[in-house]
Amino acid sequence: MTSTGKIELMAPAGNFESLQAALDNGADSIYFGVEQLNMRARASINFTLKDLSEITRRCKGKNVRTYLTLNTIIYDHDLSLVKTLLDAAKNAGVTAVIAMDQAVIAYARQINMEVHISTQINITNIETVKFYSLFADTMVMSRELSLRQVKKICDQIKKEEIKGPSGNLVEVEVFGHGALCMAVSGKCYLSLHSYNSSANRGACKQNCRKKYTVTDQETGFEIELDNEYMMSPKDLCTLDFLDQVIDTGVKVLKVEGRGRSPEYVATVIKTYREAIDAYYDDTYTKEKVVTWMGELEKVYNRGFWSGYYLGQKLGEWSDGSGSQATQKKVYVGKGVHYFPKAGIAEFKIEAYDIMLGDKLLVTGPTTGAKEFHLTGIMVNDKNSENAKKGDSCTIPLDFRIRLSDKLYKIVPS
Amino acid sequence: MVIVTLQRNKCIGCNYCVEMASLQFQMSKKDGKSVLLNSIEKKGFFTLKSHDNSIFEDCLQAQKACPVKIITVKQV
Ligand code: SF4
Repeated sequence: MTSTGKIELMAPAGNFESLQAALDNGADSIYFGVEQLNMRARASINFTLKDLSEITRRCKGKNVRTYLTLNTIIYDHDLSLVKTLLDAAKNAGVTAVIAMDQAVIAYARQINMEVHISTQINITNIETVKFYSLFADTMVMSRELSLRQVKKICDQIKKEEIKGPSGNLVEVEVFGHGALCMAVSGKCYLSLHSYNSSANRGACKQNCRKKYTVTDQETGFEIELDNEYMMSPKDLCTLDFLDQVIDTGVKVLKVEGRGRSPEYVATVIKTYREAIDAYYDDTYTKEKVVTWMGELEKVYNRGFWSGYYLGQKLGEWSDGSGSQATQKKVYVGKGVHYFPKAGIAEFKIEAYDIMLGDKLLVTGPTTGAKEFHLTGIMVNDKNSENAKKGDSCTIPLDFRIRLSDKLYKIVPS
Repeated sequence: MVIVTLQRNKCIGCNYCVEMASLQFQMSKKDGKSVLLNSIEKKGFFTLKSHDNSIFEDCLQAQKACPVKIITVKQV
């Protein structure tokens, strides 16, 4: 939990762009993977050991906690990498490790590193909480629990004073937003069986997100599951009942999506930040929820549902394989220079024209993800209504841009 | 001749290549990634050239099994 006593908002960070977006938009903590032993091992962009100190430096500056995910299955040949990673994380001042395998838990305890129990362990009852309290201060509840069940566990932790190694009461974490999968969290073999690509090593191919035909082997009769992606649930969203989630006594709310874009992280974290603050200010209203939901729908989603929290029957299936986001970004060009005194940024337009009034987005490892409306353009030192492919243009901007930054235009999808 | 290459930095250490071709691949205990035995490195690509054609089948299986598709096998 945060020092303010509010529920902790935990953001995914797949790379420096997303990390910065999380920091800029009000995350209390971030989680990230390093090298291959995490659930996004396949991602082309993953942090390396060398990035650890930069990650903790940026986060400490903002008083944001850092969690290293080390939550795949672990083989014998992984054991020394586990130690290397944990030693390096401890040295860099990473707050805690999110672990599943007992070898990881044991070594983290040995070097006195805070342990969080990963979703993959699937905690669903108070006795299991008690068992893991010998090793861990925070535990993620299984995604299959209802809010009523979560509340019971939280109440029982208080009543029985179940404490973790730190001497404080065990904190309960739940998933607040993002993709859900049809399998018991993190224990799916579909990808392994069809593509030899184990989800449990962070190499999920997401083949559940496709359309399938079911065949009756006796008659050969084929059923096409009409318009329903039978194994592809909608995305979890708890924003419209966030008050009920917080009332259970949960201490950490986790946003899923380490493979997502920086603007996704920015939008989702900003929205949940506002909703959480509103809850504690007593200004969490239905009207605001409507506005917030509109914001969330703009970025990647497969449609929203409330997961298993409100006790619905299983299965709210997505009716498409891809995103239903209401807007998308198109690449425009890249950053060239920033003139801090004048507050002016120079961009090279490479792909797509821009016009006054356009909604633009800049992303970059240090810049994160920042949106703005285009209020002025100069091309060749002259005021202009637009800038075209091939132009170098300058734009008044109140934040610094860098050479590594990319400029996008936001358009309805 | 059989030519096998491994783009080692992208390995996720899943061990499948070792199961398929245990005479050519081994898991490193240092960094948990696969090692292509007797290979020579150039810019992150490890290449093994072997005159023993009998290794082709196993290495091909390893190529197929690798989830991140970083093994290639050729017979020349
Ligand atoms: S199969 Fe591919 S990813 Fe798996 S250990 Fe071998 S080289 Fe690495």
